[in-house]
Amino acid sequence: MSTGNTTRNDRAALYGYLVAFDKVDELLVAAAAVRDAGYTRWDAHTPFVIHGLDAAMGVKKTVLPYIVFLAGLTGTAAGILLQWWTNAVDYPFLISGKPLFSLPANIPVAFETTILFAAISALVGMLALNGLPQLSHPLFSNRSFKRVTDDRFFISIEAQDPLFEVAKTRELLESVSDQPVEEIEELS
Amino acid sequence: MSTPVSYLDNTGDDPAVRARLVVGDNDFHSVTNTVCGIVEQPRPPKFWWVAFAASSSLTLVLFACIGYLVTTGIGVWGLQVPVGWGYAIVNFVFWVGIGHAGTLISAILFLLRQRWRTSINRFAEAMTIFAVVCAGIFPGIHVGRIWFAYWLFPIPNQMSMWPNFRSPLLWDVFAVGTYATVSLLFWYMGMIPDLASIRDRATTKLRFYIYGVLSLGWRSSNRHWHRFEFAYLLLASLATPLVLSVHSVVSFDFAVSIMPGWHTTIFPPYFVAGAIFSGFAMVVTLIIPTRKFFGLEEIITARHLENMAKIMLATGMMVGLAYSTEFFIAWYSGNTYEAFTFLNRAFGPYAWAYWTMVTCNVLVPQIFWFRKLRNKTIILWVASILINVGMWFERFVIVVSSLSRDYLPTSWGYYRPTAIDVLTFVGSFGLFFTLFLLFVRFLPMVGMAEVKGVMPQAHLDRPGHRGHGDYHGDIAGVEVV
Amino acid sequence: MPPMKNDIETGLTYWRSLDELARTPEFQEAVQREFPGDDWDRLPSATRRQFLKVMGASLAMAGLTACRWPKEEIVPFAHRPEGRTPGVPEHFATSMELGGVALGMLVTSFDGRPIKAEGNRLHPDSLGALTAIAQADILQLYDPDRSRRLLLRESGQQYVKTWSDFEAVAVEDFAGDGTGVAVLAGASSSPTRAMVRDQFLEAHPEAGWYEYEPISRDNEREGTRLVFGTPLRVQPKVDTVGVIACFDADPLFDHPSSLRLAREFAAARHPETGTGARLYVTESSYSLTGVRADHRMAVPSSRVPVVLARVANLLVAEHHLDLPAAAAGYAGAAGQEISEQEIDFAKLLAADLAGHRGSGVILVGPRQEPAVHALAAVLNQVLESTLDYTADPDPDRPSHIEAIGELAAEMASGSVETLLVLGGNPVYDAPADLQFGELLARVPLSIHLSLYDDETSQRCTWHLPRAHGLEAWGDGTAWDGTLTMRQPLIAPLYDGRSVIEVLSLASGLNSISGYELVRENLRKSASSIDFEGFWRRALHDGTVESTAWDTVQTRLNPGRLAVAVDGLRALLVSDPPSADRPEVVLIADSRVWDGRFANNGWLQELPDSLTKVTWDNALLVSPVTARELGIADGEIAVVEAGGTNVEVPTFVLPGQARSSMTLALGYGRTAAGRIGNGVGADAYQLRTTKAPHMVSGATVRGSGRSYSLATTQDHFAIDTAGFKERNRRVGELVREASIDAYMANPEVFHEHEHHPPLISLWKDQEYEGEQWGMAIDLNTCIGCNACVVACQAENNIPVVGREQVLNQREMQWIRIDRYFKTEPGLGSDEIDNAEVVFQPMTCVHCENAPCEQVCPVAATQHTTDGLNAMVYNRCVGTRYCSNNCPLKVRRFNFFNYHKELADTSKMQFNPEVTVRARGVMEKCTFCVQRIEAVRIGARNDNRPIADGEIVPACAQTCPTQAITFGNLNDSKSSVSRLREEKRSYATLAELNIRPRAHYLGRLSNRAAGAGPDGHGAPHGEADSHGKETA
Repeated sequence: MSTGNTTRNDRAALYGYLVAFDKVDELLVAAAAVRDAGYTRWDAHTPFVIHGLDAAMGVKKTVLPYIVFLAGLTGTAAGILLQWWTNAVDYPFLISGKPLFSLPANIPVAFETTILFAAISALVGMLALNGLPQLSHPLFSNRSFKRVTDDRFFISIEAQDPLFEVAKTRELLESVSDQPVEEIEELS
Repeated sequence: MSTPVSYLDNTGDDPAVRARLVVGDNDFHSVTNTVCGIVEQPRPPKFWWVAFAASSSLTLVLFACIGYLVTTGIGVWGLQVPVGWGYAIVNFVFWVGIGHAGTLISAILFLLRQRWRTSINRFAEAMTIFAVVCAGIFPGIHVGRIWFAYWLFPIPNQMSMWPNFRSPLLWDVFAVGTYATVSLLFWYMGMIPDLASIRDRATTKLRFYIYGVLSLGWRSSNRHWHRFEFAYLLLASLATPLVLSVHSVVSFDFAVSIMPGWHTTIFPPYFVAGAIFSGFAMVVTLIIPTRKFFGLEEIITARHLENMAKIMLATGMMVGLAYSTEFFIAWYSGNTYEAFTFLNRAFGPYAWAYWTMVTCNVLVPQIFWFRKLRNKTIILWVASILINVGMWFERFVIVVSSLSRDYLPTSWGYYRPTAIDVLTFVGSFGLFFTLFLLFVRFLPMVGMAEVKGVMPQAHLDRPGHRGHGDYHGDIAGVEVV
Repeated sequence: MPPMKNDIETGLTYWRSLDELARTPEFQEAVQREFPGDDWDRLPSATRRQFLKVMGASLAMAGLTACRWPKEEIVPFAHRPEGRTPGVPEHFATSMELGGVALGMLVTSFDGRPIKAEGNRLHPDSLGALTAIAQADILQLYDPDRSRRLLLRESGQQYVKTWSDFEAVAVEDFAGDGTGVAVLAGASSSPTRAMVRDQFLEAHPEAGWYEYEPISRDNEREGTRLVFGTPLRVQPKVDTVGVIACFDADPLFDHPSSLRLAREFAAARHPETGTGARLYVTESSYSLTGVRADHRMAVPSSRVPVVLARVANLLVAEHHLDLPAAAAGYAGAAGQEISEQEIDFAKLLAADLAGHRGSGVILVGPRQEPAVHALAAVLNQVLESTLDYTADPDPDRPSHIEAIGELAAEMASGSVETLLVLGGNPVYDAPADLQFGELLARVPLSIHLSLYDDETSQRCTWHLPRAHGLEAWGDGTAWDGTLTMRQPLIAPLYDGRSVIEVLSLASGLNSISGYELVRENLRKSASSIDFEGFWRRALHDGTVESTAWDTVQTRLNPGRLAVAVDGLRALLVSDPPSADRPEVVLIADSRVWDGRFANNGWLQELPDSLTKVTWDNALLVSPVTARELGIADGEIAVVEAGGTNVEVPTFVLPGQARSSMTLALGYGRTAAGRIGNGVGADAYQLRTTKAPHMVSGATVRGSGRSYSLATTQDHFAIDTAGFKERNRRVGELVREASIDAYMANPEVFHEHEHHPPLISLWKDQEYEGEQWGMAIDLNTCIGCNACVVACQAENNIPVVGREQVLNQREMQWIRIDRYFKTEPGLGSDEIDNAEVVFQPMTCVHCENAPCEQVCPVAATQHTTDGLNAMVYNRCVGTRYCSNNCPLKVRRFNFFNYHKELADTSKMQFNPEVTVRARGVMEKCTFCVQRIEAVRIGARNDNRPIADGEIVPACAQTCPTQAITFGNLNDSKSSVSRLREEKRSYATLAELNIRPRAHYLGRLSNRAAGAGPDGHGAPHGEADSHGKETA
């Protein structure tokens, strides 16, 4: 740990390394290599979803589904409660000789609230887990990185990674890509 | 693009060869160029201005009509007793129906792994949102005291009065409200990576900041993509039952009543089928000119059109089945009121509307049985417009003809729309096209990230696997954990 | 010089005293100073600046004088006038005179504003009920179009004058012995007017006195004169009658005593307690009596005498009726060709009459010639029919047609220099051949007293504003002679004066108030010493007990009978009408009467009972004749007779006699007011002194132009599918059976109901406490529309106008559904004699109301006492409730229908009932305001609400008491007992809506051995199975 500290002090401004790829295949091979090297604070950047990349990177399955499920349940409960409270308790009146509270009439609304809550939680949850919105990021300072949303693939390894060492890490990246490894500066 | 048509043709049906979803010699970059290029061109082409001028003036007509309505009274419409609902509700159901294609294409086709959806879903979703906006106007303005329309929402108030949740209209409020919200989320979320593309290609500061904010700082991180994919999958699986529920709930407005011709159990499936039918028709109507004018033939290919033609054929048949079932049940049930209602539809004062509906919705789609016809863009386009007409008339027949002759012959009547009725309807198209034109001008109308994902280059270069979907990660030197 | 009246129209100034102030010398002086040297009588000459000043002044004074109430003391029905509590409605007995007969009313007054007229239980012709017209008269009181000032028309100029001006003139013109003076008055039963008339004729012995009414029963009067030597008044009684034979007669609707007769008829038709009252009707066009008939034959009006003569013939020949020798001539009188149908009908009727000696009655309508009435009188006499005769109040009076004819002759000869027209509107309604309008121009000085500055006023030199019946003192006599009082409920709004006031003024007695005149006259009939007590009693009751005339014993006068026989022979030889030479029968309109109510919105928008046409009159043509002439339903027909053309839209009406057409008088007014002007076609142009009731040998052709009549129900002509279905449904909706079938099997009304068991998804609601319900007896409902107007008056229901009605936006809360029952298999243009049934339809307050559950904001919900309540201020107006109402009884305010309402009209509003806003749904409330009023009263003196204590407006005014309202949870209440009856059923019960209003099935009483003609056969059955109607 202490070494880690000293190294960090030496390169106070370093965010990490970034290396580009042209082909999906190269990226996958490289990702697998970085994964096997044991790095944890690193990432791959691609213009679109590449199936298999999660496996190649060893990304763990997200908890998002559980959040959405709970939100959905909340929605159902809220829907039923709302209708029960308004029509049977707070403002009861005789309508078409029907009971004040009867599930059949309340199902459509309960269903809609379920979907609404769940859907909102899906988007918000995803953004939250991704730490978005985050309008500025060290990677954006790199010109070539702009093509990540077009046709280029990248791998970045953060200096924050415990295993990060200037020489070794650069070596690793150079071994997997024929393109120059670039240093990315922290945001000052 | 001046590529020969034969080269663009990917409508072959040879099972051995998978049809290409993107034709022409496109790579990732060219796709980005084509799509972003439309947004980036300094000023829109002439035809855009012409269309925009026309549609925005129609929008003004819409708002003028609404203004007149609010100041004068619902009486400016042709409504009366017995026909208490007319154009407004017909238009509402019509637009909501159209609003179904988008979510359907993005959600259901996504779950069914129909990869061809990628080129058109953004477009269809946008259309959905705009259609729902148009639809949302009508229930709002069709009430007698528009300034109290908000009483339909469960808002706490000093009189502690609440809406009546037994009323299908209230179910509508929730169904349509939810549907609009979820469609919007779905649409926006799918657009985030593409907005990022525009940001990264931005040449002007303004564009950089606007799209920068809109894309929320998306940096294509695969760990983000991972959750993004999950969220997208979840939204899709939530939107699927939703899209089916919305038109079912809309159909409850009629099915839950006791009016012969309305009080029918077949309505929910029948309405949903009709909605998909009309939705695809509208997508085709819009997409054919758009891909032509913006040169997107290589991304939105002939095969996409053909697939949609097939779906219209299928749903058209479902709708036809529903029509005949209604008649059969009316006779079989032995309910004389029901029986007369349908006899009256086909041979009564509104027979003209009924037969227009049958012709456009049941007969016209039959031409899609023939490949030659369905692959002729112009024929497909005209047919899709006819189907839109037919679907509007379907709603007209259901709403008006049933009401005009109900139980007591002494209260029978005949509904005639006024000029205001018609202008309001036409005006709603103005609003729809205005929003649509703004969309194609300022937002990526094709989901680039998704299209790239289904391009051959996105996959490992292995024989027999060309253009195929999933990569299973089984390449040399990489062992999967 | 009288200034200041010329601005009245500018402000909303309708206080009587405005001009009184304006006449004060100080004020005139002030005006002089304001505007020196200008002629202030000429309206056009006023410049804007001056105009504004004058207007300002007038408004200021209007404000000062806004708080004036009647000076004379009037006596409320239920309360003492002192101790008036603001906000508590008071009831005053008064009366209304129409066609020379007074009808007793009870008027509800709210803080000095009369707001609703109901019948006076103590009055023999009302018995608590009131006709639609009499109820609507109150709207005329507040009509902003009523004339507001005296007008003098000279050399093309129009000057505004005051009463003092006129008094000055009157003194000159009515001085002397009255040579060259003529008075044209309407018929009146008022003893006071008779007294004042005599005073006038004493003062001016040479003056001519003429009485004219366009609609009258003079033929009946002359008929009796023929038979009995002196005119008598026929007093039919039908409460214990076995057979009623109507020849063009409509005793249930078109008779001064129709309310009483309808009540008696209903009693006679009661299945258990009634005497049967089998009804035979021979008429050219459907009357309400014809609708109720057990045997009805549609024949041209000119054929009616033939049928009656044949009946007489058969009575003598086959039933050995011993007519006196002279009358025996009648037996031979029927000697001309006659159709099978007519013979069968006559046979049936003759047999029934012979069988009901002493318990039958023959009634002949006012449009039939005197000779026909004479024959009826003879037969009635011999058959000992159930009718009485009373002496005619004014036996020497010539018939109205003669009178107006004589006056016209006088005017033509130029011997009339001063003509005083008291009421009426001769320029519009005098027979066309008299050219009354032109003759009027030859009279140097003509004075017209009238509610409106109408057609006649505009051709007279003077127009005097007349006081409305509710503004003036007066009296009158009922049809049976009962003395009836009239007291004002409000000071004249427009400075009007009554006939007796003006007449006494013309008699040289400087204007005595009507109050004094009426008292003076009553003194004569005052038996008791205590006149004040007698006076108060009379005003309180509205009638004076036992003042009805004695019945006279009649004897046939052989000498005169011969004359009558010849008269009848003359009628019988006239050849029957044909399609190319049809007869056109001119009838009094069921709504605007002779045209005097043309500016009354309630009546104009009241759907005619048969045609359901509003805002128009139409030429009624039989389907067959229409086809023969090639005239389409709704096509404008050109009626040509005696050189005059009248263009009027046709209405094809089944049950109309072939080649006989019917056209209502009273339309096509040109100076009626903003509402009545130009509505319909003027049938008076076809009317002549020779043939005032029927134009024979007219030619009628289509014009090719079509016109949309604003009907509240679909026309009879309709697409085939709809036509078939409508016929099929009638039997289920309006259930009917012959009384024999019902007596044999009381279940007959329910036999053919079958639907799946009516089970609910939930546990049924418990209904405790008072639960309001209604029972409507289709057996006694005659479709007279009285309930519709009663509801409109009680509940502040707006008048929406022709355009809105055309678009099916009429607002009446209760409507009378009219169905035709036709022989199956016939096309709509082949129907000759369709049966008609009525069904009053209003909100039935379903327990499982379909409207309630669909309202998103719960604006319509169920009250604890079982009302389907409408919360106006919660309603957002989705109209979903109306869509989901199977009876379509909900009404929507598509616009702000009260927007253009004048302040005067607003004075009529019932303060107990909300005036609904634009965009709000409304409907029948069972008169919840009346329910609450009674409930509060009962709570205050802490007692239960008695049965029959709550009476909704419709039930209150129903002449046959067909509507019963009460508590369903009280098994002893009359409504509960009616619901127990086997005739009781609910419409559309199969929808499980559980209506709170039930219907009692209709019973027909056909003679045994009558051939099938679609009448009276049990319709309750069959149709629901698509079987043919028997």
